[in-house]
Amino acid sequence: MKRLLAPALLLAALLAAPLPAQQGGRLVIEAGRIVTQAGPDIENGRIVIDGGRITAVGKAEEVEKPWDATVIGGKAFVAFPGFVEAHTSQGMDRANENIDVAPFLDIRDSIDPVAYFFEDCLRQGITTINVQQGANCVVGGRGMVVRPIGMTVEEMAMRPLFGLKLSTRPKGGKSRATQMQALRFAFEDLRLYLEGLVEKERDDAGYAKREALFQGRDLEAEAAQGRAMGGTAWKVDGLELVPRGALDERYAPLLELLEGRYTAFVHCGDPLDVVHALEVVRAQGILARTVLVIEQDCWKAADRIAEAGVPVILEGALLDVQRDPITGEEVETFVPKVLQEKGIRFALSSEDPNTRAPAYQAALAIAHGMERTAALDAVTRVPAEILGLGDEVGSLERGKLGNVLLCSGDPLSVTTWVEHVVIEGRLVYERAKDVRNKHLLEGVQPLGTAPPTSAEAGEDPEHEHEKADEDAGAEKDAGDEQKGKDEDKEKEDGGR
Amino acid sequence: MSARLLGLALVAAPLGLLAPRAGDGPPAPAGRGFVAVRAGTIHLVEDGRVLSGATILVKDGKIQAVGADVALPPDALVVDYGPDAVIVPGLVAAYSSYALGFPSERTADPTLSALDAFDTYRVNGDALSGGVTSAYLTPADNRLIAGTAAVVKLAGQRDAARVLSAEAALHGAIDASARSTPGYWDPPIPVMVDVELGYARPQLPRTTMGAIVALGELLDLAGDPDDARLVSEYGPRTGLALARALAAKVPLRLAASDAEEIRALLAFAAERRVPLVLDRAEGAGAVADEIAAAGVPVVYRLPWVPNAPAVDRGKEEDARWPTLDVPARLVKAGARVAITGSSPRDLLFAARLASRGGLEPAAALRAITLAPAEILGVAQRVGSLRAGKDADLCVLNGDPLASSTSVLATWVDGEVAWTPDRHAREDARGSRATVIEVEELHVGDGEVLRPGQLLIQDGRIREVGARVSHPRGATVVRGKTCMPGMIDAFGHLGLEGSRKVPGTDFTLATILDPGDALDRRVARQGITTVVLTPRSASDSGAPVAAYKPAARELEHLMVADPAALRLRWDDPVRLRSGQNVRGLLAKARDYRQKWLEYEQAMAKWVPPAEPAAEPEKKEDEKAADAKEGQTSEAKEEKKEESDKKEDKKDEKKDSRSKKKKGEPEELEPDPITGLWQADLPQPEPAAPAKLKLRAKLARAGESAAVEGNLRCDALSATLIEFEGWFDREARTLTLSGVGSRGWVELTGELKEGKLAVKARVDGKEHEATLERTSKEYVVAGRSERGTEKSETPKEPKGKPREPKLDGKLEPLRRAMDGTAALVVEVERARDILDCVAACNEAGIRPVLYGAREAHLVLEQIAGKVAGVLPASTVVVAEAERGTDYRVPYAELQNAGIRVAFPSEAEEGAIDLPLRAAYAVANGMSPEGALRALTADAAAMLAIDGRVGRLAPGLDADVLLLDGPPLDPATSVLRAWVAGEEVEAH
Repeated sequence: MKRLLAPALLLAALLAAPLPAQQGGRLVIEAGRIVTQAGPDIENGRIVIDGGRITAVGKAEEVEKPWDATVIGGKAFVAFPGFVEAHTSQGMDRANENIDVAPFLDIRDSIDPVAYFFEDCLRQGITTINVQQGANCVVGGRGMVVRPIGMTVEEMAMRPLFGLKLSTRPKGGKSRATQMQALRFAFEDLRLYLEGLVEKERDDAGYAKREALFQGRDLEAEAAQGRAMGGTAWKVDGLELVPRGALDERYAPLLELLEGRYTAFVHCGDPLDVVHALEVVRAQGILARTVLVIEQDCWKAADRIAEAGVPVILEGALLDVQRDPITGEEVETFVPKVLQEKGIRFALSSEDPNTRAPAYQAALAIAHGMERTAALDAVTRVPAEILGLGDEVGSLERGKLGNVLLCSGDPLSVTTWVEHVVIEGRLVYERAKDVRNKHLLEGVQPLGTAPPTSAEAGEDPEHEHEKADEDAGAEKDAGDEQKGKDEDKEKEDGGR
Repeated sequence: MSARLLGLALVAAPLGLLAPRAGDGPPAPAGRGFVAVRAGTIHLVEDGRVLSGATILVKDGKIQAVGADVALPPDALVVDYGPDAVIVPGLVAAYSSYALGFPSERTADPTLSALDAFDTYRVNGDALSGGVTSAYLTPADNRLIAGTAAVVKLAGQRDAARVLSAEAALHGAIDASARSTPGYWDPPIPVMVDVELGYARPQLPRTTMGAIVALGELLDLAGDPDDARLVSEYGPRTGLALARALAAKVPLRLAASDAEEIRALLAFAAERRVPLVLDRAEGAGAVADEIAAAGVPVVYRLPWVPNAPAVDRGKEEDARWPTLDVPARLVKAGARVAITGSSPRDLLFAARLASRGGLEPAAALRAITLAPAEILGVAQRVGSLRAGKDADLCVLNGDPLASSTSVLATWVDGEVAWTPDRHAREDARGSRATVIEVEELHVGDGEVLRPGQLLIQDGRIREVGARVSHPRGATVVRGKTCMPGMIDAFGHLGLEGSRKVPGTDFTLATILDPGDALDRRVARQGITTVVLTPRSASDSGAPVAAYKPAARELEHLMVADPAALRLRWDDPVRLRSGQNVRGLLAKARDYRQKWLEYEQAMAKWVPPAEPAAEPEKKEDEKAADAKEGQTSEAKEEKKEESDKKEDKKDEKKDSRSKKKKGEPEELEPDPITGLWQADLPQPEPAAPAKLKLRAKLARAGESAAVEGNLRCDALSATLIEFEGWFDREARTLTLSGVGSRGWVELTGELKEGKLAVKARVDGKEHEATLERTSKEYVVAGRSERGTEKSETPKEPKGKPREPKLDGKLEPLRRAMDGTAALVVEVERARDILDCVAACNEAGIRPVLYGAREAHLVLEQIAGKVAGVLPASTVVVAEAERGTDYRVPYAELQNAGIRVAFPSEAEEGAIDLPLRAAYAVANGMSPEGALRALTADAAAMLAIDGRVGRLAPGLDADVLLLDGPPLDPATSVLRAWVAGEEVEAH
């Protein structure tokens, strides 16, 4: 077995990377209504963000406006915490490797910072995204939590090396039995490997050392990383003899999973997969750090999920429509409602392309009789807690990251636009400057492709748009004017 | 009898309670009491015992006792499937593909577990519908050792209790199917300069000897899991897993097709002392003795797949064509055999096919129940009916190996897991059917089938013959004799003692209600159709209607209304005799002529291209259509002429609804009149009782009087007639009436179109929320006919004017067309001849009623009358003939004239069969008497399109008798009206 990556990467990656640029300025956000998701809404409120974090939230008359702060917003806006996407497999070139068990993979190498997906996240107001490998695997690689901004993965990263993907849904070419077999073998192989290491260390420490030197390994650096510990459900006798750094990169992440360093995201396609997933994570002693990523059919196993007490992320349609095989009757089940009734903590996900917008999903849940707070929590607070970011994102509170959406109305209304997105105190999206949005709405040809008619150049409003776009950065006035026009047009159109 | 029927009624209870839903976690653990399951025949399978009239007592999913003399705890719920049902143990499928998945890359992989792939959240309706309750799960096919198989229950709890055996066998094959294992290749990840890509290593077997070698090596590996060569050959985990399985005495279940392969396996198993089960074993017939001597059990898989194209098996001389006698030869040699098909649904069929080679029925039944349970090692829980085993039952409607037997219910763990009823909810063609199998089937018109069978579906007779189709899940009733329901050709049942003399245009249907207890009692004596006429007639005659007193539903109640017109020829003043009838006939002829002219004109008339109809009228038409839709079923049968009449009616309704629209004070539609239905919740475990309330608002006003009736078995065994009032202000309804359990008070409140009612009976209060399912009270609606002035809608110019509808002449017009009858009361010979002549002149063949002197003019009237209803005197003594008695019925019938029996009474109609028997005793032909009670009565009254015979398409009014019909010793055992059994109370 060869060593694949320098261990130093691990150390570097474990540190949470801060947002690199624009930390100094203070930002004040004013809104006619602030939905804090941490108590009652604030009418006529003001949010102060300093150094990327919220330093004050309250009524405009109670919160002091720092003299040097940039002010955005106004009474027409509704401020809302940025949505949190608890689990997605997008923004990558490809979601899975062919290899069944590949915990050594790191999604960092796969994320495409300029993927259209991240741009779209801003448009929908998603400010925190947990990107994990796809479900077409047995054991996938490690994912990461990112913000949808930045030109490099490092700029995007909030929590690198976060979470490990497992799947009990049969991957392509596998039956359910072979999938389970492969999943059990993954952990069995790890144990055999560790036992082999210990045996080698015990039997012939000198030989192992010589071989390591022959391979060019830095034994001192390996020793400096401490000792391998092993999981809670099972122990390998004598594992403490093995320096952590001596572990092969192929196996190390799986051991780290057992040690509780990663959250396990287990994908389940059917209710039976839920049963299997819980059986596996119980056997490996990682139930407490498990999140189930379930498809709509899995609600049938809600009792098992509730009994295990694990949180779930609901991927796929919210409404499950099935035909009873005996009576032939069609039965509709609104899945979030079932999860809520069983007391399961759940987050909604934008993975299903039909229901991409978190706001839409929350609105759908409310339409099916869920309480407004519970529905909104499922796209903000709960996913934040599932990602261990409960103190950072998910609500507008003092001390949390300054991730704020300014919406043109109630965030759940279909006629509402996300007008501004602020991530950690930085204005990263303005709809007035969103060229693609404009093209979509107005059917304008992309820049430079529409042949300008010279005769009408002065009066043609479309031409003016293009001009305004070009000048938007330099001349703020022109942009504002354009925005006003947009809003007028929007009212005429009657919304999206 | 009544106990059995009560039991059938209770069958509904476990269904409603225990229906496995598609999800929603495991059903609530049942802390339920005893359930006693009964059927005419119970196959215990254990020791080949068969019990008759026995009971299976079940509690907590286990059988507590089986036997004929089981003492029932007082609180036991009795589920009785009747004397014709057969119960066998839940079938055990020794092969299934429920967990079948991709095979492993290795030629032997015991770690592949079938249990992993079995979805407990799936509803296995297919197997349950075939009576299969337990199944062997095949992990994969096409490998020497494909994996570890399991045995599970197919319904019930979703936990470990459902797993009968997690390691039932190491499943594999040595025949051709195992010989295509590809080479094994483990790609190094990643491939690097010092780790090459490698190559695929070929794996055994390619031949039978290769398979035996590989099996031997695998056993060696199990003995020494660290053997480096074998580990590299068969994989690092195989040895350990095999060793563990063999230590746990898990048998090797290996498929072998040829006799040679079987011999090789037998020798291998004997040499290496491993437990072996032979799978598939197509060629086992030739080596049956060796298999038996080795004591190796066989799971024989039928070499034929239903629902698949046929397979060519070779044209050579020595090609192995399948023979189905293998199980028989194996059993004869003394080997243990289980039979499987390709799909659990067809397991019963597989057993039937296997009996082709001479397998005894008992052995065939054992081969799909106890034998597989023993071979799979789960006989301590399933496979036979014995105290302590799981209460898994398969209820059949006949002998398990008879070709047309199907499953009535499948029980798993003491609960009903499947019945055909729920399956049929949406498809009308698949609705519950009844098949009656008898030794003697009297069609009614003189034809007798010996034996005969009858298929009833959707209230009608579908098939009659020596053998009819048996839809899956059909209730099968067996008996001696069956015949059509009898017809009282002239009776008064339903008048309730009334002596009123209504006009000839009176609609008798308005005074009739679906059957109460009295009507059902009459029907259970055999009288299913009554031709109803008032006790006395006015000078202009009386209306006659045909109906079924015991019908449960309004839609089945009426057969024909009017069915006939009844007139009297005789007059006290003899000179005036017949005047009345002649006058009416003349009028009717003119009347008919007008209609014929109108029809001819209409046929020629081409409607002008008119502009779009006024929208308001359109709406009215729709409303009328909707109303018409409710009554349409009853009217479908009517012919073209009557359609014209319907048109006219529509117009009347049009105008009526228009009128209502015009009046502001009548804006609110009648909120009460109609049919209200709900399910009345019952204390568990009984199913909710159906509650049907028919109400009719007598007149409008502040507080309007309401009358109606209510049927609800939970409140009263009989129909409750209600009277009361509706308060329009408070929108409350107060009704009271008498039921079988005493005074019933009903209060209701109308809210948003629903009626929340409280019913107080016998000191108990029941609550239910009723919904109006039919707005118009079909029968009540008719009585209003003609009470309102009609306002003719605008007709396009040039359209022929429709003649005025005359209710009094309409029956005569129909009689002239042959779709109704004319019953004429006439006694004396001279008058009979006059009457027949007058009627024939008008184109009518009359039915003579009375006809005391008909015997004098037999030849003159033969062929000229539809039939005769002779007076109630069966035997006429005449002084001049001494003891040579006359039987008018026989005389008329012998002359070729149809006769029928008039009862001239209400419930006294039950005496008709006795009267017929008496006539037979005095010389009438038994067949003729039967005809007179059924087919002839129907034919003369022109209702033979609905009743009177057992023929396809006719209403299913059927009687099951315990002997020859009309024999005084014969009684009616069971009766069906419109396909529904008439239950006794």
